[in-house]
Amino acid sequence: SERIVISPTSRQEGHAELVMEVDDEGIVTKGRYFSITPVRGLEKIVTGKAPETAPVIVQRICGVCPIPHTLASVEAIDDSLDIEVPKAGRLLRELTLAAHHVNSHAIHHFLIAPDFVPENLMADAINSVSEIRKNAQYVVDMVAGEGIHPSDVRIGGMADNITELARKRLYARLKQLKPKVDEHVELMIGLIEDKGLPKGLGVHNQPTLASHQIYGDRTKFDLDRFTEVMPESWYDDPEIAKRACSTIPLYDGRNVEVGPRARMVEFQGFKERGVVAQHVARALEMKTALARAIEILDELDTSAPVRADFDERGTGKLGVGAIEGPRGLDVHMAQVENGKIQFYSALVPTTWNIPTMGPATEGFHHEYGPHVIRAYDPCLSCATHVMVVDDEDRSVIRDEMVRL
Amino acid sequence: VLGTYKEIVSARSTDREIQKLAQDGGIVTGLLAYALDEGIIEGAVVAGPGKEFWKPEPMVAMTSDELKAAAGTKYTFSPNVLMLKKAVRQYGIEKLGTVAIPCQTMGIRKAQTYPFGVRFVADKIKLLVGIYCMENFPYTSLQTFICEKLGLNMELVEKMDIGKGKFWVYTQDDVYTLPLKETHGYEQAGCKICKDYVAELADVSTGSVGSPDGWSTVITRTDSGDSILKQAVEAGIFETKPIEEVKPGLGLLEKLSAQKKEKAEKNIAARKEMGLPTPY
Repeated sequence: SERIVISPTSRQEGHAELVMEVDDEGIVTKGRYFSITPVRGLEKIVTGKAPETAPVIVQRICGVCPIPHTLASVEAIDDSLDIEVPKAGRLLRELTLAAHHVNSHAIHHFLIAPDFVPENLMADAINSVSEIRKNAQYVVDMVAGEGIHPSDVRIGGMADNITELARKRLYARLKQLKPKVDEHVELMIGLIEDKGLPKGLGVHNQPTLASHQIYGDRTKFDLDRFTEVMPESWYDDPEIAKRACSTIPLYDGRNVEVGPRARMVEFQGFKERGVVAQHVARALEMKTALARAIEILDELDTSAPVRADFDERGTGKLGVGAIEGPRGLDVHMAQVENGKIQFYSALVPTTWNIPTMGPATEGFHHEYGPHVIRAYDPCLSCATHVMVVDDEDRSVIRDEMVRL
Repeated sequence: VLGTYKEIVSARSTDREIQKLAQDGGIVTGLLAYALDEGIIEGAVVAGPGKEFWKPEPMVAMTSDELKAAAGTKYTFSPNVLMLKKAVRQYGIEKLGTVAIPCQTMGIRKAQTYPFGVRFVADKIKLLVGIYCMENFPYTSLQTFICEKLGLNMELVEKMDIGKGKFWVYTQDDVYTLPLKETHGYEQAGCKICKDYVAELADVSTGSVGSPDGWSTVITRTDSGDSILKQAVEAGIFETKPIEEVKPGLGLLEKLSAQKKEKAEKNIAARKEMGLPTPY
């Protein structure tokens, strides 16, 4: 048998390594995937600071999904401070996330384009991605103040409601975008299905985890069912275990899959599994998110209050914010007391997927490995939670910041 | 000394209501209202009434009535530039107008050149009306002039003005004046090193100096500013007189502009002497 190492894996966000044991015919017998991205440490940075600081700082975890992190952060603090966000504020938050889903999935289509899009269609596909992103980001710009690091998603709601002019403008613009998105989704699904990937590629037997079809729901995430183990006790290869930079989160003691397919399985009765199913679910989700964004713009009351008053001193309650990011469930936990954050922890989408992704490559030729990885749209930047302590042998240990 | 310009005229609004509300010729209110009605802009950031008397707050006006509510000069700062982003984002305005004093004009032009933090905002500004400004007072300075030096209540003040060497305060029944000498030392620190009197980077600059009472001297500087003013004059929004035919005329404007530059140069030199940083 032989060992194939892809390091770093490409066309994804952040740095990770895929190690596959293959037999004489090149079939993967054992797949291990792990993060080698350096630690961010943002949870430590926000500890001891005023609650308003947290969303501003943690959104800098990564430029790929700053919006889910911001939302999860404010939701966690809202929960810790027992704030009831006004309806219009909740709608604007959901609108921001829905637009971000459309944008982020479009980026992923750009990343996987070389795998599926033939040369003669490449320019069309990329233009289509750009067009969709431009419009989706316009929505985030207008509603949340800034497209990349939204400034107007605040604890207690949103900084401002939008005006009637802005609402009509966004509504018209998204309505116009709909045929474009439909066409794009059809194109991508067609190309992915026609690629002829082996049937069953990427299929695994792990459960799926999702809290909501689009936005996220903290009541569907049960902290008691969650446990976390260190990479040393998860990876059976000591060399890998030493270098892996993320902890292994488990739900009911099992590693899970999160993301678009998980959401469709949980909430729409989707049955398909594997690489193709993940891509199809992701593409279809663009349509669901766009439809929801249009629906929100239709029902939004632009004269309603969007932010609740609150007492920022806090009672030390552990607040949970659960947001469905484009890549899966993003949970932030925050504890506010004496007007300061006492504890902060982010449990992010790709962390959930990491232990599931490696084994999903098993049973097929190692050439398909990267396909399996990309189907999860991994984003490692936020997933890293343990620190390299010895640069010489690059070993890592548990840092206090992951302790629950 | 007046910066780059295309044309200078003396003008006033033909709208009686604006004449009554306006500081001088009603140029800012009239021009923004015309641009709004013609769809040249969709909204304008102006210095609207604030919570305290004579302490303006930036406001996004989307109708000419809202513009009229903001008419008239306030002699303390209104951070209009701060509001530009919100006007483009939450208000959804794609063609924006605004009014600014020279320092704000510089800031806006700089933001347009290097749009850090104002992505897709700076390019939406379609009409920038600048106003002449010798200096600007912090709100507490105005309180000192009116409440302490003149013994008045801010609430009773109907209008403030600067002209003929005096700071003028109008109430319902009376007119009070304060020699400008008494206001020295109360201006914003930055004004001392500012060399721009006539908003040299605006599309259109305006102010009372050079024209008779109730009229304003209007300077058009850019193609767009020039064409908007011409259209407005053609549409009968403003009546104009050649600047050569009015008293006190351009000479006074040039003199004051030169004075501001000269004074600033001196202060800048003095600061440099002391090793202090200056933005020029």
